[in-house]
Amino acid sequence: MGKFKRETYTIDGVETVVHSAGNGEPVVFFHGAGTVDGFDFAEPWTERFKVIVPYHPGFGESGDDASFTDLHDYVMHYLELFDQLGLDRFHLVGLSLGGYLAAKFASEHGHRVKKLALIAPAGLIDPQHPMLDILAVPGEEVPGLLVSNFDVLKKRLPEKPDLDFIGERYREATTVARLLWEHPADPKFMRYLHRIKMPTLILWGDEDKIIPVQQTETWRKFLPQADIKVYRGAGHLVHLEKPEVVNAIAMFLS
Amino acid sequence: MSAALRFNAMHFMPYVHLPEHHQEFKSTWVSFPNKYYDPERGHDLYERYLQELVLADRLGYDAIVVNEHHNTVYSMMATPNLIAAALVPQTKNARICVWGTPPNLMLPNRLAEEYAILDVMSKGRLEVAFPLGTGMEYWANPISPATARDRFKESLKIILQAWTQDGPTTHYGQFYTYRFLNPWPRPFQRPHPPCYIVGTGSPETIEIAAEYGFGYASVFVPQQRAYELNENLRRRAAHFGHTIRPDQLPLLTFVYVAETQEQAEREYIGHLEHFFSDYLRTTPQYLAPPGYLSVDQLKTRAAMADKLHGGFDFNAISSSFFVAVGTPDKVANQIGEWAAWMKTSHINCVMHIADMPHWKTVKNLTLFAEEVMPRLRAQADAGQRVAAE
Repeated sequence: MGKFKRETYTIDGVETVVHSAGNGEPVVFFHGAGTVDGFDFAEPWTERFKVIVPYHPGFGESGDDASFTDLHDYVMHYLELFDQLGLDRFHLVGLSLGGYLAAKFASEHGHRVKKLALIAPAGLIDPQHPMLDILAVPGEEVPGLLVSNFDVLKKRLPEKPDLDFIGERYREATTVARLLWEHPADPKFMRYLHRIKMPTLILWGDEDKIIPVQQTETWRKFLPQADIKVYRGAGHLVHLEKPEVVNAIAMFLS
Repeated sequence: MSAALRFNAMHFMPYVHLPEHHQEFKSTWVSFPNKYYDPERGHDLYERYLQELVLADRLGYDAIVVNEHHNTVYSMMATPNLIAAALVPQTKNARICVWGTPPNLMLPNRLAEEYAILDVMSKGRLEVAFPLGTGMEYWANPISPATARDRFKESLKIILQAWTQDGPTTHYGQFYTYRFLNPWPRPFQRPHPPCYIVGTGSPETIEIAAEYGFGYASVFVPQQRAYELNENLRRRAAHFGHTIRPDQLPLLTFVYVAETQEQAEREYIGHLEHFFSDYLRTTPQYLAPPGYLSVDQLKTRAAMADKLHGGFDFNAISSSFFVAVGTPDKVANQIGEWAAWMKTSHINCVMHIADMPHWKTVKNLTLFAEEVMPRLRAQADAGQRVAAE
């Protein structure tokens, strides 16, 4: 199992931190709208793949850029980063907001994505099964909504109220607000999903309190070729709650 | 303190008929269900509050002040220009202060137009203040708190361009495009009505006031912070070549006057407690939507909030904020001292709060006008004579 190496790139003036480990075909992981869940879950992948985990601008260890007001800014950011990393074709895995970004990237630049795995992706407008408007939820209530088994998240949260932790969450919420406050969804996203032609795997926990598992049916309509796996007894961070999610993705990418 | 002392009567126009179980709600802002608003009782309150502000004009207050908040019992003035329009024909001398509509919550040309209409209707009695708006307003309106400060600056630029440059002009900005910025009417006062920035003294809002040479109407800030705010504004305005006059720095104070100290406290403190505990009750989330504050400001305020545990304490409130409660002598002396310390001639008096009944409001307005204002004016005149000798 490889140890993650931390490198910093400057992409159009934004300091971008990338962690990577392992050897083999490259797998890029896009994290979600917060970074509390970490990326250590991806360590088993490093046995077979070169795993590349960038922090999006405005999240975690990467710098801020207040001019990022649209998910497309992130697509452009990653085109630049991948050029700098010399990544031509790679597997792409995205979680939640990162799943939305991964699907958007794949619909626009499909020739660069070998296989696509989406873990409880955001982005769909599904009036019958709408995503929870996470921006409207008080910060202290968010962790409880992310998982069914709170123990997997508890160890990643401070035991007592911690100003730095609160500040870091507020910073990430600010980044999300820049993208989604006035327009939480982009109807154009679904319009171009049919351009995703590569093999695709979608994974979901059936107790997801952020994005209802019923959205898998809507994904199926847009991506009929996708393989969809639903895990019982798991919430939004299904990859933390069910180690078999991590294995299933590794199998799919192999 | 200059001789030209000025006294405002400020009113929040709260909706006072809170349901009995209102304390079960974590906030009386943003999400407090509007089924508890009874329009018939609301009508009676508007009638009453407007009378109180008209009385302030009759009693010789120099100005009456209204402002804007949304989704809350704290204020029934979601659109204060409507209230100001109702006051214009009923008042003669008092300046009408709309302090004010957050420019972010209205199209900037329309705000420039509405203010110009009020200024022309009142023959130049309008004064305006520009708030960013509390965090709560951004939960109630469709504008992003994360871009609020940039939008605010652009809106302000558009409004001032509309008022100071002959139209039509154009504006091509980040948030707004105007191909024909040419509002009719133009303001009565030239180049425009007196302007203030409203805020709690953050460096960002002080910088905007300093750059334009505007006054600064601080909201609930502790005495020491208000003092530093005035000092910072004078210093930063000088940097931009502006001299801030004493009348540009309104001192916001809660006021209640009665025959004796004991009577004043007995008649007032319950309302003040109700105001702080219930009408200002909100949540950290509502106060600071994402992006409304910088991360540093958020941490500073979160640290302060941790220290503010415990219930209402009149002595603590009145020693940290400007709260003048007592006999005419006591209130006059206290305000006189504060005005001298703050180097201001402009006293912005909150004359009604929470569920204070009409009779107390009338009593307070009358005693302050007839017993406190003359004392303060005499003090100021004496000070001027001493200075001149």
